Amino acid sequence: MTGFRLGYGTNGFANHRLDDALRIIADLGYTSVALTIDHHHLDPFGADVSKEVDHVANLLDRLELRSVVETGARYLLDPTHKHHPTLVCDEPERRIDFLNRAVRIAAGLGADCVSFWSGIRPSTVDEETAWRRLRVGVAEVLEEAAALNVPLGLEPEPGMFVEHLSDALRLREELGAPALLGITLDVGHCVAVEPVDAATCIRRAADLIVNVQLDDMRTGVHDHLEFGDGELNLPATLAALTEVGYTGVAAVELPRHSHAAPVVAARAIEALHAALVPANPEPSAGTDLEWVNKVDHPWLVEAEQKVRRDPAAIGSLFPAVGRKVGRAPLRPETDPQGLVHGTVDDLARTRLLAVLAAVLPAERLSDELAQLYRYGDDAERRGVLRGLAALPASTVPTGVELVKDALRANDIRLVAAAMGEFAAKHLDAHSWRHGVLKCLFVGVPLAAVSDVDARSDDELLRMVADYAAEREAAGREVPTDAVTLLEARAS
Amino acid sequence: MRIFDPHIHMTSRTTDDYEAMFAAGVRALVEPAFWLGQPRTSVASFTDYFDSLIGWERFRAAQFGIRHHATIGLNPKEANDPRCREVLEVLPRYLAKDGVVAVGELGYDSMTPEEDEVFARQLAMAVEHELPALVHTPHRDKLVGTKRTIDVVAESGIEPGRVIVDHLNEPTVAVVAESGCWMGFSIYPDTKMDEQRMVAILKEYGTDRMIVNSAADWGRSDPLKTYKTGLAMLDAGFTESDVDKVLWQNPVDFYSQSDRLVLDELPGFAPSKETFAGNSVLRGGGNT
Repeated sequence: MTGFRLGYGTNGFANHRLDDALRIIADLGYTSVALTIDHHHLDPFGADVSKEVDHVANLLDRLELRSVVETGARYLLDPTHKHHPTLVCDEPERRIDFLNRAVRIAAGLGADCVSFWSGIRPSTVDEETAWRRLRVGVAEVLEEAAALNVPLGLEPEPGMFVEHLSDALRLREELGAPALLGITLDVGHCVAVEPVDAATCIRRAADLIVNVQLDDMRTGVHDHLEFGDGELNLPATLAALTEVGYTGVAAVELPRHSHAAPVVAARAIEALHAALVPANPEPSAGTDLEWVNKVDHPWLVEAEQKVRRDPAAIGSLFPAVGRKVGRAPLRPETDPQGLVHGTVDDLARTRLLAVLAAVLPAERLSDELAQLYRYGDDAERRGVLRGLAALPASTVPTGVELVKDALRANDIRLVAAAMGEFAAKHLDAHSWRHGVLKCLFVGVPLAAVSDVDARSDDELLRMVADYAAEREAAGREVPTDAVTLLEARAS
Repeated sequence: MRIFDPHIHMTSRTTDDYEAMFAAGVRALVEPAFWLGQPRTSVASFTDYFDSLIGWERFRAAQFGIRHHATIGLNPKEANDPRCREVLEVLPRYLAKDGVVAVGELGYDSMTPEEDEVFARQLAMAVEHELPALVHTPHRDKLVGTKRTIDVVAESGIEPGRVIVDHLNEPTVAVVAESGCWMGFSIYPDTKMDEQRMVAILKEYGTDRMIVNSAADWGRSDPLKTYKTGLAMLDAGFTESDVDKVLWQNPVDFYSQSDRLVLDELPGFAPSKETFAGNSVLRGGGNT
């Protein structure tokens, strides 16, 4: 179902022997592990480190666990100062040496990558100096990484110098975008400090992600929580990982839950399995109809069967669609509000309407459609409007009335949904022109309007030109779509 | 401070209010269906109003970065009008909607037999639709009305933990505290409760099951009363974590029982820079 490997971080098993922790993690059904090397877990400064690496490599192999090496040990380098020294402090050499050791351990284990962070910038170090130190330090570790072909994952960490994904991406660019420097993304951190949600961060980092940490968190609070205790949308986050084609380690990161590790780890995998819903359809070429056929959410399949058996069931199923199958836009990269291509729930409602059309006689179908719209909330109304194009010709008169009703609304999602394929085919010229003008007026992208080029006529262009003149007279900006439309016709 | 206003009639408020609320930390709210000031005379007036609560008003709130939810029900005042009672027939349609997180506002106005019947029927609908219920206490003869409310709730079979009894004050809080229902307080400029009296009640009864709202509507009211109560709590020595519990966690916990709360940030709105619970992103620490 997913290309990535669910795992658990050994820093959440700090009170276990490493071997015991790995066995428990594997027994619970995890297929990967994020191994925090520490004084009691594969000590990189130990005398027998190479023997120990061989032993752990064998065990990982036997347990069929994939791995990443984490370097967030608290008191490994300095027993009195947590996380000290860092890459940005006055004497970063011991940190660099430690990271190089981690790279060698990762090579020995066959781990996917070494994950690291920048450290907190001391108040005595200015930003410029910190940034320079970071560049130098990372470049040095990259040499060792290149020698052994081990990727590095820079993790943005709340409160640290590299705090946001954008900081990490900038550093990477400044270093010349080295192939071996990727991103470790903690999805809980996204909730805590990123301006956008975890799914959006995943899409932004996409191919650069080499390691993922999974945990819940609340806005503004850097506290690793169990799933469900914070604000993370876990299903949407996991779906985004699938969407970007991530195939690496995605390990639960609960370093403050070691006291109850086996129980917490069991709860976590249960939550993860529950959240792994089938991914959204691939944003690829193809007609809308093909898309429709790809949404095979189990709830939807069951709902379709119910409607087939008892058409009246649609009355209670139609409002529940968003709660059951989600509400994400179908093509978030280009259409974050779903105004152009619609949303997952729009698509699911179209499917339910198609089933309804197959089982109801023509007259009752039109009535039911009108009722679903009349008593629908904004999402249900949108669902009806976007579904009209897939319905038989007998519903056209009703459909036209509903489209006209929606065009009287000021909710831009309704206006956008009303101006699709159905309106292009069936709406009279006057209403259609006013619909286009309304889109320009309320900020619906004209990409949401079907067949603009084919249906545009002189009267529409006159209306748009007058609107543009009115905006200019008021000293206001003319919408780009209006300019484009006028220029296309002029040329 | 992040704030969930669990009772506010935004249909009666301006966009300035939405902006001020967002700036004060309000990120989510519940708008209960209620009386409109001018009595309604037909079911159609109700359905258009309900449509607005689950459609236009939700859209409007979203433009200002605030998640909008509603409760749907027939208020007790209009339960006395036979032209309005027919709305009970269409309520089930609305109780199935996204963003409808409770049945309400229910309760008593003049404590007539009609009010009894409509109250009981709607509590039964709450049970059937697996929704919590928002019950308000009457303005007149309040203590008797509150006791009778608790009795009707007990008879209905709905769990007390799924009921919030609202517009409480000093004489009525004890009976609700004892019942196991959640306790709601509307903080008003010059009627119902004020911030200082609210703080005194929180000191006496603690913060469990305590819910504070502005109940702002078309009357003299203030949509920032939740925020001001938070400030008064801090002044009185309550911690930020206490404030977060009363102004966010409690209403979230209560309305989450509907399984229909959506609290994700709205696209395009940056997260609050505020800190809460004595914690901030600059806690330091690191990967731990």
